[in-house]
Amino acid sequence: MAELMSSSEFRVALEQAFSGTMAKDASFSRAWATGKLHKQHFVHWATNHYHYIGPFGDYLGLMYANTPDHARDAKDFLLQNMYEEELSDDRHTDLLIRFAEACGGTREYVQDRNNAMPFAKGMQGWMYYVSGRENFVVSSAALIVGLESQVPSIYRTQYPTLINKYGFSEWEAEFFDLHITSDEIHGERGYQIVLKYADTPELQQRCLHYVREAADMRFAYTKALYETYVQPDLGPWVEEGEREPALVG
Amino acid sequence: MPRIYFKTADQYVEFAEGEEVNVLRMAIREDIDVPWQCASGNCGTDRLVVEEGAENLDPPRRRERARLGELVDEGYRLACQTYTRGDVTFSWDPDQVGLDDEPGDGGGSRTGWAGTG
Ligand code: FES
Repeated sequence: MAELMSSSEFRVALEQAFSGTMAKDASFSRAWATGKLHKQHFVHWATNHYHYIGPFGDYLGLMYANTPDHARDAKDFLLQNMYEEELSDDRHTDLLIRFAEACGGTREYVQDRNNAMPFAKGMQGWMYYVSGRENFVVSSAALIVGLESQVPSIYRTQYPTLINKYGFSEWEAEFFDLHITSDEIHGERGYQIVLKYADTPELQQRCLHYVREAADMRFAYTKALYETYVQPDLGPWVEEGEREPALVG
Repeated sequence: MPRIYFKTADQYVEFAEGEEVNVLRMAIREDIDVPWQCASGNCGTDRLVVEEGAENLDPPRRRERARLGELVDEGYRLACQTYTRGDVTFSWDPDQVGLDDEPGDGGGSRTGWAGTG
């Protein structure tokens, strides 16, 4: 029977729960960060990403409805997060489409659900399920700690590559710049909610379970992006330095 | 261990050697009263004066340059947009509001938004 962890122990456990399967280490992310992708690959990425994160306001709305009135700070955070995704600045999905257009895609192509992988639809369904059916602390752990808080570590590697290696302008790549910083803060506030309201051993364990599951989901989705769209062009992913030495002569 | 010294609050945060950390995130994590609102480089509420350690900060990107304008040359940075990899000291006006807000018009900060209780 697990015991109630202190706030600092629980935070470390949450961080460890996703550290083994971080999406930044998946083949598609590695190919991106090392400058191997073509613009058409980015159009596919943006299309799938649109169907995965496009309904983020819906997910947060479901979580909001599941959050009890006494957790007013958690409700306010969810509302604020929703506002920031949709209204405070450029709509985040519009920035994503701006990037796809810079890669030669169109708004219509990106928004057409038929152009997304089954993995992306599965990811979307999983997020609707968790946000709609789970305790708000558990869904905060899954979606905000497990997924949203990973974003800065992914984009901080990918953004400079987009500018310096792939030649995008800062305006075209603004989607990434915005998320590097806003998701740092969303992630941190997500931690605060989870640390504060996961106040039984059962809730803590359930949060850890869903953080692991979220990380596994995102890792598998990111890997599938490579296998579906990039592998036919570049072959199976092999990390630099791990290639077989070329035969001489 | 490198440390961020939030001079106006007389508090500091340490982080692991080799890490790069977001300044506002570290302030929120430790409940340090740095004023902020949007966390995305729009409002300018979280502008800080870099008193020492500017060489440890990453250079400002588009959103921060656009928001701060010439304040960048005067040594200001936005906490939400800034990462550090080493020692740095910041100060600020505890009553400051967003760059487009008038003092007292409700455009104040969200400090202490959600303590861990
Ligand atoms: S909090 Fe608004 S610019 Fe940083």
